[in-house]
Amino acid sequence: MTRKQKRLAIIAGALGFIGAATGLTLYALGEQTSYFYMPGDLAENPVAAGQRIRLGGLVEKGSIVRSDDTHVRFTVTDGSNTVSVRYNGILPDLFREEQGVVTEGVFDDSKMFVADTVLAKHDENYMPREVADSLKEKGVWQEN
Amino acid sequence: MSIELGHFALVLAFALALVQMAVPIIGAQIKNDTLMRVGEPAALTNFMLVALSFMALTSAYIQSDFSVLNVWENSHSAKPLLYKITGTWGNHEGSMLLWVLILVFFGALVAVFGRNLPLSLRANVLGVQGAISCAFIIFILATSNPFARLDPAPMEGRDLNPILQDIGLAVHPPLLYLGYVGFSVAFSFAIAALIEGRLDAAWARWVRPWTLAAWMFLTGGIAMGSYWAYYELGWGGFWFWDPVENASLLPWLGGTALLHSALVMEKRSALKIWTVLLAILTFSLSLLGTFLVRSGVLTSVHAFATDPARGVFILGILVLFIGGSLALFAWRAATLAPGGLFQPISREGALVLNNLVLTTATATVLIGTLYPLLVEAVTGDKISVGAPFFNLTFGPLILPLLVIVPFGPLLAWKRGDLWAVSQRLFGAFGAALAIALLAFVLVDRASVLAALGIGLGVWLVLGAMTDLVVKSGVGKAAPSVVFSRFKGLPRSVFGTALAHAGIGLTTIGIISVTTLETERIAAMQPGETVQIQGYNLRFDSLRPFTGPNYTEDQATFVLSRVTGKPLGEVVSSKRLYTARQMPTTEAGIRTLGLSQLYVSLGDQTPNGKIVVRIWWKPMVTLIWLGALVMMVGGTVSLLDRRLRVGAPMPRRKPAVEGRVA
Amino acid sequence: MEAGCCWDKIFSKNLRVGERGGGQFAKWPQLRRVGSTFPGGYLGPMLFWILAAFLTFIAAFAVLRPFAVRQAPAEDAGAHDIEVYRDQLEEVERDAKRGLIGQQEAEQARAEIGRRILQVSEAADIRDSTRSNRRVTQLTAAAAVLAIPLVSWGLYVFTGEPGMPAQPLHARTAAEPADASIDELVARAETHLATNPDDARGWQVLAPVYMRLGRFADAQTALQNIMRLSGETAELKAALGEAMVGAARGMVTADAEGVFEQALALDPNEPKARFFLGLARAQEGATEDARTIWRGMLENLPDASPWREAAQQAMAQSGGEGASARGPAAGEVAAASDLSETDRQAMIEGMVKGLDEKLRENPSDLEGWRRLIRSYVVLQRPEAAKEALARAVAAFGDKASESAELKGFAANLGVTIE
Repeated sequence: MTRKQKRLAIIAGALGFIGAATGLTLYALGEQTSYFYMPGDLAENPVAAGQRIRLGGLVEKGSIVRSDDTHVRFTVTDGSNTVSVRYNGILPDLFREEQGVVTEGVFDDSKMFVADTVLAKHDENYMPREVADSLKEKGVWQEN
Repeated sequence: MSIELGHFALVLAFALALVQMAVPIIGAQIKNDTLMRVGEPAALTNFMLVALSFMALTSAYIQSDFSVLNVWENSHSAKPLLYKITGTWGNHEGSMLLWVLILVFFGALVAVFGRNLPLSLRANVLGVQGAISCAFIIFILATSNPFARLDPAPMEGRDLNPILQDIGLAVHPPLLYLGYVGFSVAFSFAIAALIEGRLDAAWARWVRPWTLAAWMFLTGGIAMGSYWAYYELGWGGFWFWDPVENASLLPWLGGTALLHSALVMEKRSALKIWTVLLAILTFSLSLLGTFLVRSGVLTSVHAFATDPARGVFILGILVLFIGGSLALFAWRAATLAPGGLFQPISREGALVLNNLVLTTATATVLIGTLYPLLVEAVTGDKISVGAPFFNLTFGPLILPLLVIVPFGPLLAWKRGDLWAVSQRLFGAFGAALAIALLAFVLVDRASVLAALGIGLGVWLVLGAMTDLVVKSGVGKAAPSVVFSRFKGLPRSVFGTALAHAGIGLTTIGIISVTTLETERIAAMQPGETVQIQGYNLRFDSLRPFTGPNYTEDQATFVLSRVTGKPLGEVVSSKRLYTARQMPTTEAGIRTLGLSQLYVSLGDQTPNGKIVVRIWWKPMVTLIWLGALVMMVGGTVSLLDRRLRVGAPMPRRKPAVEGRVA
Repeated sequence: MEAGCCWDKIFSKNLRVGERGGGQFAKWPQLRRVGSTFPGGYLGPMLFWILAAFLTFIAAFAVLRPFAVRQAPAEDAGAHDIEVYRDQLEEVERDAKRGLIGQQEAEQARAEIGRRILQVSEAADIRDSTRSNRRVTQLTAAAAVLAIPLVSWGLYVFTGEPGMPAQPLHARTAAEPADASIDELVARAETHLATNPDDARGWQVLAPVYMRLGRFADAQTALQNIMRLSGETAELKAALGEAMVGAARGMVTADAEGVFEQALALDPNEPKARFFLGLARAQEGATEDARTIWRGMLENLPDASPWREAAQQAMAQSGGEGASARGPAAGEVAAASDLSETDRQAMIEGMVKGLDEKLRENPSDLEGWRRLIRSYVVLQRPEAAKEALARAVAAFGDKASESAELKGFAANLGVTIE
């Protein structure tokens, strides 16, 4: 190979690598991102079972049911609509009734949301941003 | 009065930074030595002033002076002294002051240790540092003044977020900022070079120690942050691909690339334009990180500043510096002369490959971090890009790079012999393969990935050692000669080997935890026993306990081997900080060899049991030990004499050793 | 914060609040203020400006230094580069000697470095051909030196509070309590109670203070805590009812009425409860019922009772306004709060007694003696004050500096012993 051909080959290789990385990124952005929903959004546009989403809202008062093992059920509400959630594991320290929560997981066939991650707001002054925005739009929650 | 004096010192530092920015650069333009020399005393005095200011704020914290708004908001008289001090930078205003303190600290270091630089380069570097200081001091004064006062002063403060009341907080941000802000020096060097229009091998040598120091601190900061999250957040994760973590990883990746490309530039005068661009980009990523963390645009653990005015201000600084420097780059880059040529298979070639992969990986992390913000801004949809995205993109991109790392240092400059290098690495490869097989057979037959990952880590460690073995001539010379050659190797060779070995250790840690970790969740009551990974964990007792500013339920577990050999107790607790009524989980962690047992408490079940979550984290400590080894490698490299070449001595004086220590 | 630290301070503060008319006595805290809270209190602002000017001078000097100090001329621009390249050459030699690179490679490297050295020399020639402009230099220097004081002082005037002293908590708590505002003392007490909610004495001190400050909700909490810790009495119940009335802006609510009735169940003659029940009737418009209650009160009350006057006043007012329903009369509320003064007086008596006993056990507490003497003066018991001073002097010894100090202190208050 001449020097010029070599150089071309190297540039082609580098472009190929970057192209592969771009492709991978685009694919991952399409497949691995999860959209954020409030219970009300789901009432309007139901999500297919098995699609990964984030579900946020307030933990409905009196809805937390703990089993004798490590399973927990509770209801996420935005004031008008609700979604039942099932979770196995340790809830975050700040998980409480009538407080903001973001869960991540999928719906099962019986419209029950199976969460594998539960995030609660992390201090007294802070509400998960998505939840706060949506609740403010609906007028359920006000910043104090 | 001390408060106001601190405040005044900060304002004065701003005025002086203006001078530090303008005068030396003008001096360099009109070739006036005296004006150029203004940079040094200005930088030193600036450091003194900001340090005074920072001390004033710290003393206000120590003395619980609630006439300072910032102290009232973030401190409490009953807090232990250590957390009063660390509270100084545990909040937005204080942390920005720390940021500026470190910035002017580096400015002062350049003034002190930069005597080996040509006067005009030094003047321009200090001028650019002055410009950055100006921007950030005025940001503090305008939007986040830590010296705002309260009259009348309240009698008690509002406490510090208990999650942040931890020794991790004491060390983590300063280290991280030393890294972030350290890259400002590389940036200033790049801008200075562009202003002067001179860019050569000597420049690369001068910029390398600064880059290396920043890189080391950033490595330490990231590792500390990771370990802190691991034991404090109570779920045992060491990396969450949280945007704030990404914000620190981005300049680290960029800085790693910069370290390698500057090496090529120093040795071969090649990759000049690319190196300058990398220096600009790395600090831009630091600024971006500061913006992401400080503006509160992210939903994350670190969101403690939510004032949009601040965000807009930092965004302005960001646009000014990144835009300005890239414009200067576009204008000047074309005038730079091309450097030395090299074959694809050579040390240079390997380093270029390193840069290609690192920058591509940086880009994917950047996209993953910014994409949700972009989508929200454009469509209003809220999406989250989490670990699955990064595992799918960053992982496959970075793994091949790790495979080729051991080849790099062994290849010759200009034209390398891949076959000869492969032969030398044969031993390391064989050993790594053997260990991978062993891991597959003995530890977990289900996980090929784990075995391969561990093999990869071992390959990196042994490959790094091979470099030392080959360079000291083992097998070619007599043992005594080998020993003296080994001792005579440049420190930077040891530094490289250690840093690469550190990467290997971290890789082993990450892979083994993510693939081999086991987890048990059980509802337990005192007396019950859970078995995990050959250990018995008996729940002994649950009792209330009162700390200085919290109450907790403390669970004591008795650990023993299945064979019955006792191993002592593990204590885990659920804490309630009374001032804020805020609960936290204190994990019980027991280190066993390189591995750890991690016990975390959950809620009570209706029948009075308590949910206990237990993880077995095999070789998890290697993640941070690896980072430590990398830092040691960086330190050793910094001590290499090449990085300390002194200033030329005036010819009149007798020839003494002219190196700046 | 040490337990029980604040009660005496609050209490003495409360004395000051309660003190009417002032006289020589009210001036006393002002006399003490000089130099006590912040060392160099009046010197502070002055000292600040001096130090600020000093810092400004240092900064300006830093800028001027290169102009003032003659420095050796800079090396030619290329000298630093050549130093680096010379080192690179040495390195090539070392590597070649050690066999890390081959002879041919070393030769090539040497040639390459040599070319760099040549380039540096050429570039240096071009660079040195321009000379500096004197006028621009002078203007720049002048602007820089002027900018430092102008920018810094100009900006600081907008952002700073030059007259405001630092206020370390330690200095503030150690300062004479009389100098601290009642809010500060209350805040201090609240922190203490937040961690020691079972300190009945603390709640007892705070409750009347809250009433005075108009913090009725807090007063209710305090009273409920007292009852939780030391049992219910008719008096406490009546005070709780009063706080509830205060919280309802003078209206005797149904809840408050219930509480007053509980008070009467414990002690049918509790005057405060009866007075407010009468007020409740009056507010409902049942003026006649109200007058009946108050009249009954007057019959039972001893002549010296302060409630007598209140009831008479209320009767007079209700009579004058006929039977129409009306809101709370300012006079009634004022009367009520005046009456609580009496209760407070009783409480203070108790406190002073406690302090007195404490000092019998621990007579080395200088501050305690001061408080005790002052308290007796305020309570207009000069004999007791004298007796306390004598005891203190006996405890410290006649010659001790503490005794001399206490004597001087007492003399200021008009208390002397021979």
